[in-house]
Amino acid sequence: MSDVEGATGQVIELRLPSRLGYERIAMDTAAALARRMGFADERIDALRTAIGEAVTNAIEHGNQADAAMKVVVVLTVRPDELIISVSDQGRRALELERTRTRPHIADAFQRADKGGWGIWLMRELMDEVEFTLAPGGGNQVRMVVHLERSPVGDQ
Amino acid sequence: MLEDELTVNIRHRDGVAIIDLIGDVTTFAEEKINGAYRQVTARGDRFILLNFRQNDYINSAGIAILIGIVTEVNQNGQKLAVSGLSPHFQKIFRMVGLAQYAEIYQTEEDALSAFKRLGAVE
Repeated sequence: MSDVEGATGQVIELRLPSRLGYERIAMDTAAALARRMGFADERIDALRTAIGEAVTNAIEHGNQADAAMKVVVVLTVRPDELIISVSDQGRRALELERTRTRPHIADAFQRADKGGWGIWLMRELMDEVEFTLAPGGGNQVRMVVHLERSPVGDQ
Repeated sequence: MLEDELTVNIRHRDGVAIIDLIGDVTTFAEEKINGAYRQVTARGDRFILLNFRQNDYINSAGIAILIGIVTEVNQNGQKLAVSGLSPHFQKIFRMVGLAQYAEIYQTEEDALSAFKRLGAVE
């Protein structure tokens, strides 16, 4: 492998239609990749949930479920981490301050809409989560999950 | 192809209404889960078990549906438990706080034993 970071990273890109259900393709692809990288099952489950939420948000919120609009998922493999970026075409911009709230179940009991758990789950389950507005107007979330080597038998 | 169907099945055992959720618990599941809950409630069931199948896909929309069920269970004075969740979803149920309102059991049998102690009878 090359020493140049850009060259060592292997990049996989998916372009998904904005229709609910297609998040599974991203979940399955990321899980297969993470398994090959040597992630533990528990981390792969966390990754599946986080990517599922990110893509679902992009489909439903960012692209307003317009199937003609694409959700782009970029998976970048580094020796010790997997970087996942999910972008939409920004028909509706994410309110960034709303990405930092921690929902409470007792509040949800009082509300008609009992949702709002997705972004919080992503933050809880991934090592790094960062939301940005892409220059082109879309929403983008970048998540990183670190590969934890087993403490014994380090090579 | 990708809008995976959820199969919901209602059974009764030892005074407990068991709602089997076979498949994915996402936004597509709302009608079926709420319908099953309404059905057992109309029948007067007080003890309800949501029996999941390991390794299915439950997302935040599915969690919102389950919070809706918990809200009604509390209002109606019923008791709710869950079984069959994979370790990952057990963890998520604890994180979200669902586990405070619906006791988590590994298996249907464990849940039925617990309901028996609470007074569920044939």
